[in-house]
Formats: sequence, structure tokens, C-alpha cells
Amino acid sequence: MRLTRFLLRRTAQGILVVWGVITLVFLLRFITPGSTIDFVAPLDASPELRQRLAEDLGLNKPIYVQYADYIVNLLQLDMGNSLLKGRPASDVIFARLPATLELAIAATIVAILFSIPLGVISATRRHQPVDYGATGFSLIGISTPNFWLGIMLILIVGVNLGWLPTSRRIIGFGPALELLIFEGRTIGIQVWFEHILLPSITLGTYFTALITRLTRNGMLEELGQSYVEVTRAKGLPETLVKYKHVLRNTMIPIITVLGLQMGTLIGGAVITESVFNWPGLGTLIIDAINSRDWPLIQGSLIVIGVGFVVINIVVDALYMYFNPQVTFE
Amino acid sequence: MSDDVILRVSDLSTRFFTTDGQINAVESLSLEIEEGEVFGIVGESGSGKSVTARSLIRLIESPGRITSGTIDYRDEELAEAVREDYPEAVDGAFVDLLAIPEDVHRSLRGTAFSMIFQDPESSFNPSLTVGEQIAEAVEVQRRASSNPRSTRARTRSSAYSLRSYAAAAVLPGRGYVSSDSKDRAIELLQQVGIPDPEQRVDEYPHEYSGGMLQRAMVAQALAGEPDVLVADEPTTALDVTIQAQVLDILRDLQEETGMTILLITHNLGVIARMCDRVGVMYAGEIVERGSLGDVFDRPTHPYTQGLLGSIPDLDAAGGRLQPIGGNVPSLLDAEMGDRCYFADRCPKAMEECLEKPAEYPAEGTDDHAARCYLADHPYEASQALPEDYFEESEPP
Amino acid sequence: MNWQRVWRSLRAEFGRSPMAKLGVVLILAVFLMAIFAPFLATTNPKAQDLSRANEPPVGFTDTTEDTRLVDGERQTVTVTTRGTLEYPLGTNQLGQDMYSRLLYGARTSLLVGLLGTAIAALAGVSVGIVAGYYGGRVDDGLMRFADVMLAFPALVLAIALIGLLGPRAVDIPDPFVAAGLVSDMPETTVLPLTVTLVVALVNWVWFARVARGEALSVREKNYVKASRSLGASDRRLMLKHVLPNSLTPILVLATVQVAVIILLESALSFLGFSGTTLSWGFDISQGRDLLATSWWISTMPGLAIVVTVIGINLVGDWLRDALDPDIEGESGGGMG
Ligand SMILES: Nc1ncnc2c1ncn2[C@@H]1O[C@H](COP(=O)(O)OP(=O)(O)OP(=O)(O)O)[C@@H](O)[C@H]1O
Ligand code: SF4
Ligand SMILES: [Mg+2]
Repeated sequence: MRLTRFLLRRTAQGILVVWGVITLVFLLRFITPGSTIDFVAPLDASPELRQRLAEDLGLNKPIYVQYADYIVNLLQLDMGNSLLKGRPASDVIFARLPATLELAIAATIVAILFSIPLGVISATRRHQPVDYGATGFSLIGISTPNFWLGIMLILIVGVNLGWLPTSRRIIGFGPALELLIFEGRTIGIQVWFEHILLPSITLGTYFTALITRLTRNGMLEELGQSYVEVTRAKGLPETLVKYKHVLRNTMIPIITVLGLQMGTLIGGAVITESVFNWPGLGTLIIDAINSRDWPLIQGSLIVIGVGFVVINIVVDALYMYFNPQVTFE
Repeated sequence: MSDDVILRVSDLSTRFFTTDGQINAVESLSLEIEEGEVFGIVGESGSGKSVTARSLIRLIESPGRITSGTIDYRDEELAEAVREDYPEAVDGAFVDLLAIPEDVHRSLRGTAFSMIFQDPESSFNPSLTVGEQIAEAVEVQRRASSNPRSTRARTRSSAYSLRSYAAAAVLPGRGYVSSDSKDRAIELLQQVGIPDPEQRVDEYPHEYSGGMLQRAMVAQALAGEPDVLVADEPTTALDVTIQAQVLDILRDLQEETGMTILLITHNLGVIARMCDRVGVMYAGEIVERGSLGDVFDRPTHPYTQGLLGSIPDLDAAGGRLQPIGGNVPSLLDAEMGDRCYFADRCPKAMEECLEKPAEYPAEGTDDHAARCYLADHPYEASQALPEDYFEESEPP
Repeated sequence: MNWQRVWRSLRAEFGRSPMAKLGVVLILAVFLMAIFAPFLATTNPKAQDLSRANEPPVGFTDTTEDTRLVDGERQTVTVTTRGTLEYPLGTNQLGQDMYSRLLYGARTSLLVGLLGTAIAALAGVSVGIVAGYYGGRVDDGLMRFADVMLAFPALVLAIALIGLLGPRAVDIPDPFVAAGLVSDMPETTVLPLTVTLVVALVNWVWFARVARGEALSVREKNYVKASRSLGASDRRLMLKHVLPNSLTPILVLATVQVAVIILLESALSFLGFSGTTLSWGFDISQGRDLLATSWWISTMPGLAIVVTVIGINLVGDWLRDALDPDIEGESGGGMG
């Protein structure tokens, strides 16, 4: 009940933010020095051709008309044609989206799988070697630029040891899964896994380090609360005290910070893709910017903005789930 | 050794090793509590009452440690069960709670003894329902008793798979508490007078008022039908009318079940209303003890006299302890010295008080005793210490 | 705000924590490197010497196979290069001295980090205090705008803005060179202006949020209400009460933001959106295609970033532990 009401409210808010994002992206074109037509038209275009192109693209209309057209088109998921690829920008973007999603999800899984147990162990064995190791790891992890980490992984695991491929994504998870299910061949998944392993470690390390740190500090703080003593006085098994009570409450600050750090995840994905030539939205947006492919720039920015808003709603819902005291009023 | 003694504490010392130095929060404390009585401990804030209570159920955490003493608890069944493995812990029907391992001790919590804490608001986990938390207390005992009644089996009954731990962190109410325990939680809530228990059981602590939370805590403490209930200032955080209600509930339950209660408070009114016997605590020690009549009508220790003198009307439920002139001692080992700890505030301090007094029997019942030379012989004005004696030798 | 108390708790925490000491040492080292780069550098970091390209750091040897024309015949020869003290951290493919570039790279990182943080703080704190103090519509409007800004990941927004505005840079004359104390060193230090402004633009929101929170709580304090009823002007109240109260959390946030911005700058330089070639991120990108042969080109500047950011994060932890402000989004560096 509480959750449904919250989701409705939050979605309405999200739509407003998305509208703001769309408007800002629209305005971006007007703060850019140089006329748009200069980027679109071939260098040797005749004045007539330039004129025709400008008319085709609606560049001569008043701004508010252009804005209205732009919104109406967006509502139909029409982001215009990519100048670079000559195809609808939305097609180009949605073709790249799975690669980015796979990367982000894999990194999140890596992060959660390692960080929470590490943080718990670190907090429960305070001032023991494990704790120092985990603390040191998380300090280095949050201080390392992920693109450099990626390059070091390529250098060591790829170049020196030759264990794993260091660039590209030969096969997507979807097709790999199809191969496994319909033809019973595991090669697809294997290739997929080999290619995504280093990028997801690269992207996931910062988050692993961050969550380890948050879990450790959160657990330590939570262990000092009086209710912990009460649960012990009841005779509850220590593991239950730690997991059911302490860890659960530690999730609340972890989720808060994670919500604030989601931008870091997406930004990190962009740069990780660039390091590993990963054919996702990140490499796409960099190409688009370098070639001033406006429809593609706008489209990718909007997709990223919307993705970000959606992730944040999910994070808030999680927060709400773990913290019964919040009422979003 | 009296036959109906249920808890016998001797020479208990608990210290905290902090960066500021060693704190002697409980100092060679000895006391005996009889089965079925309400024993009160009264003392100023910081005198070590809560640390004593927590020491009794071994909940002292780093940087604190119980450094000496025994806490003998009478339970023949338990004595039988542990005699073989830990013979040194057993003395007749008594088992030294400080000499048994943690898991055996844990199996006693909630059922042999149970505790009500000072501040109800912070004593519940804010993100689980009150009902869930009470049901947990029921469930611990249910699981323990569904096994053969051997203590070792009881400790093992809490075995719980790793998957369930992960589930417990994410999904509340899944994996540990059964619906039977939940039903019992509703009964318990009803028993302590919470209206609409069926609905209240699913509410969160922040939806309860302070008084209701304290009752819920009483319910939680009673879940395992404890033999000894340690109640650490069960009413301090509540307003006067609610204080009276909670005390009534405790009183009724005690009469019903015959359990033993150790009641800690700094409210003399509460002591007068509830207790059979009293210990007065000062600077980590029991400085005077005896029956209610001994302590209230024939106080021997100047500190007790000061306490009683400072409260005009014992029946006023709000009658809190007024500070006696002077400062509460810091309990820092380095500053304690080897004298009567009360000497710097004592109006009758004499030269001999610079050496530590023993506990002397005092006038009244056999139980009545005080840690003061005045219990042994009368005051000698000629020996009095000059009034500013401590101001000179011990600058603040 | 009681500065004496702040100072005392800072000192106490510093004495307690070896990590705080390590952090201060690291940061001091990086600052000294950056300031005295012209004296510490052994070679002009921009000077190229193609005959000495791709030399390994001192103590390392590098073996490559090369095809050469010997007596009119193609032969494969093995070339062994030994690192020398002349180029202690080796050279890149242009034969530039990595050690001197590392020193000058520190200048870029710190310039962008400090200046970017200062601009972000100034803008964010002003907006935040105004929003929190006036509340109502002003607050709603500003905070909704902040939400929209936050919906773009900082790095993505920065790439878009810089890519579209074009990187612009300002040359700051090097005082040591101008005074004639050193020669053979670059006469100017390049401040990547677009990058600095853009990193400030994508990060001011954090400051606005913290300042707003503080302003909201101070506004409700009785002494502020009292001074207002006595006719104190809003501007005066904001400067006298709201600002000083926000300083501790803002100080902690600013420390962490320097790290965030240094990481962001290096990422932008790495992707080629920068205004200078004397930057750690740029050097890392230069070494990227030579990993198989010249590992040191990417490795050294990366280590420099890690060390700098660790230092800042340790100092941030120290300030946080000592001052204990209650702010969100304060956990460590991050790629923006
Ligand atoms: N975790 C701890 N760490 C360090 N010192 C402690 C700790 N817990 C208690 N103490 C010290 O033990 C002494 C006794 O504290 P205790 O809580 O038992 O007092 P109390 O009699 O219960 O007072 P109150 O009436 O305020 O509850 C205090 O001086 C306190 O400084
Ligand atoms: S022993 Fe002496 S100082 Fe201590 S309480 Fe008795 S009379 Fe006072
Ligand atoms: Mg207490």
C-alpha cells in the first residue's frame, strides 16, 4: 500500500525531471558555438543546399516551434536520424543499450557479491588482519580511477598473462543464452563471460570498495545501538543478531549513498566502455559528440537521463522497504 | 547458605579500559538474592547500576570486562547438565555463570533470566515490527525446548543455515519466527495491557508511545517465562501515571508467576513501593543493604541517610534522588584511592575513613549491613577530618 | 561556530590517527611536487627526443624485436634498452621524460581540483543558502533544477559540455621561470578553463544540498528568529548565522570534492576532452596502445593519481572523524 502510493508519487516526480532533462538537452544545442547547419552540411555545400537542409531539419523555425516539434517527435520515440549512421537515432541507441545494461548489471553483481560479506567480516573481526586488509582495499578501491584500473587489468591479465580477451564484446548475453537453450552449446556463454569479466571488474571495483566501507562503518555504528544488546539478552543466536538485525539496518545508509552514487555508475560505464572498446551507449555518446551528431547526442543523453531517474526510483523503493519509518510526505 | 537463595554474586568486578584510563564501574560487589523476592538496587546516576545488571547477564562488551568474581545461579537441572563438562563451574545446585562457555550461557538468556532495559525507545530495532521482535524471544525458547532438555542440545538447536541468514538480512519475518510464536506474541501484548494487540503486533516501534513500548519490552522479557527478571530503571523514561501502570503490571506478574525481580532504579519511591530488600549502590559498591525497613527506617550509612533526607515524600511517585553535596566520583581507577569512596562527601568523615571500611552488620534484621565504620562504632567528633581536607589534597 | 573547539578536535583526532598523518604527508608531497615542479624536473616535460623514445624506467630493461636493414638485408634484431637515471621513470613514444611530466601533471590536477572545487563551493553554497533560507517557491524551483542537474551523470554531462563548447585553456605564466630562477622549463602553466568550469558546474549541486540543509535548520533557531524580528536584514542574517554554521560540513564535503574533481579531470583528459597535454589522464591514454611494449607510460601517472586521491580521502576521513558533520554523499572519491 505504502509502496504503491509512493511509486505513483515518485513516478510523477520522475516524469517532471525527465521533462527537465529533455528541455535541457534541447537547449544544449543553442549554447554550442557555431550554427548547427555548419555541422550538418558538407563543407562544399552550396548556399541553396544549405538552405534546403536547414528547412528539412526545421532549423529556420522559431525556437518554440522547434521545441514543440521536438517534444511531439520524442513522444513518438522519434529522435531524428543519426547523421553519422543514417539510421533513426533510436534504433542506433537501442541496439547499443543491452551492452551497457549487461555491463552495469554485471558490475553491480560483482560489487554486491564481494562487498557486503567483506564489510561484515571486517566489522565483526575488528582490528584483526582481515579488517585491515579490507579497509586498505576499500581505501585504494575508492581512490583508483577506473579507466586506469582497466588498463592495468589489460596489462596484467590480458597482455602479460594472456588469460582473457581485452576488448570488444563478441556476443551479447541474449544470443549467448539462446545458443545455450536451443542448441545446448555453452560456448556462447563462455565467450560472453570471458569478455565481460575484466570490464565488470573495472567498473565494479569502486563500488565494491565503497560498499565494503559503508557496510563496515555502518555495522560498527549499528552494533553500538542499544537494541543490539536487547536482542542478545533475549538469547538470540549471534549470527541472527548480526544479520537479521544489524546488517538489515546497515542497508539503510548503504542504499542512501548508493542512490547518490548511481551517476558514478553510469559515468563509470561510459569510460569503462571506452577502455575496453565495449560497444555500448558510452562509446556511442563519445563518437556522437566528436562528430556533432545532434540527434544521437540528444537521444543518448535523454536515454541516460531516463535510465537514471528509473534507477533512482528503484533505489528509493528499496530504501523505503528497508526503512519502515519513512513516509514520503 | 540460605536454601532459597537463587542468585549469589560474590566479589564481582567489572572494569572498562578506556583511553582516559581504567574505570572501575563495579568494585568487588557481593550480594544474594532470594527466590521470589523483589530486590532493589538504588543509587545515583553513574554509580554502576546498569553495569552491574549487564554483568549479571554477561553483556559487557569491549572495552569492558568482568575481571573477577562469581555469579552463582541455582538451577539443579542446569547443574546436572553441565557438571560433566564444566565441573569447576558447579557447586551443589549452583552454577557459576561466569565459568560456563558463551553458548551455554546464551541458552539461559530469556528463560533463566531476562532483562528490561532503561530506554524503551532505543531498545527496539526500529526496522522490525514490535510483534516480530517479541515473537523472536518466544521462538528462541520454543526451539530450545523442542529439543531434549539437555543444555548442550539446547545450544545447538539454534543452528541455522547460511541461506537463512542472508534471507534474514533482506526479508524480515522469514526464516526464523513461526506463526505460533507470533500468536504467543499477541497474547503477551494483551497480558501487559496493550489494546488491540492483533493490530499492534504488526506495527513498528515508532508507531508506539513510550509507555506502550515499555510494556512491550516487559512482554518481550516475559516471553521465555524467566526465573529472574532484571529490570534496569523500567520506568525512568516514562511519565508519572504510566510509571505507576508499568509497576503495577510488574507487581501483578511477579505475584502470578513467583519470579524473582532485581529492580534497579534511582527512584526511592519505586523502591518503597516494590521491594522486599534493598541494596544501596555507591561508586561501584553496595554500601548498605537490608530489608526495606532496615534501610528506610534505620539507615546507617551516611550516604543512605543523605538519600533519604533528600526526598521529602517517599510516596510521591516522582521522588527522584536529589544529588547530595559534592560530585559523583569518576570511578577512574587512578582517582579512587584506597579510602572510603564516600569520604570526600561524607559529613561524618573521620581519620580512619582514609582506610577502606569493611562491611559491618548493622542494627535491624540479620541482613542489615553497611560499609561504614559508623555501623561498627559511634561517631567520634574528635577524629573528624577538617571540612576542606579533600579540597586541598584532591583538586578537582 | 567555535573555531577553537574545531581546532582542538582536529588536533586530537590527528594525534590519534596514523592514517590522518599519512594523508597529510601524501598531500604535502603532492603539493610540493606541483609547486616546485620547475626545480624538481630534470628535463622540460614538453621537450621531445625521438631518438630516446620508449625508454624504460631506471632499473628496468626493455627488450624489443626490430626489423632493420643490415648491409642491404632485412634482419630481425633484438634491441635492449636499459633505463637510465636521466629519465628515471622512462620516456613516452615522443621521448618525453615521464618523471618531469609527472611533476607538471600534479600542477594540472591540483589547479583543476582546487579551483573547480572553489567555484563549485561558492556557487553551490550561495544557491543552497538562498534556497534554504527563503524556502517556499525559491527553494522548490532551485531544488527541482538541482534534481534535473543530478539526473545527468557528472561525467556524461561534462563530456557533452566540453565536447560541444570545445576545450579552452588559459596560460598562466610560471613565476619561477619569469623570475629567471630556472631555465629550460615551460614558461606557462596551462589551466584547462573549460574543464575547470564544467567540473564545477556538474558538482555545485552537492554543495547546494548541504548548505540548504544547514540553512533550513539554522533558520528555525530562536536566535535567528529573534534577530529577524528585531529587523536584521536577510543578507546580514545569512552571512552572520547561516554561513558560519554550514562551514564544517562544507569543509568536509569540499575535501572529498577535490578528490572527485581530480578523478573527473583525469577521466576527461583520458578521453581526450582536455585543454592541456600535461595531465596524468592524458599520459595514461598515451600509453594505452603501447601496453604490450612500454607498460610504464600508463602505469606511472595512474599511480600518481591513486596516491594523490588516497591522500585526500585520508584527510577527508580525518576531518569527518574529528568534526563529525552529518552530510550525505560524503563517501570517498568517485568518478563523478
Ligand atoms: N561502554 C562503556 N565504556 C566505558 N565506560 C562505561 C561504559 N558503560 C559504562 N561505563 C562507565 O561505568 C560507570 C557506571 O555506569 P552505569 O551505566 O552503570 O551507571 P548507572 O548507575 O546505571 O547510571 P544511570 O542512573 O545514569 O543509568 C560510568 O561511570 C560509566 O562511565
Ligand atoms: S566510612 Fe567514614 S567516610 Fe565513609 S561513609 Fe562511613 S563515616 Fe563517612
Ligand atoms: Mg543505568
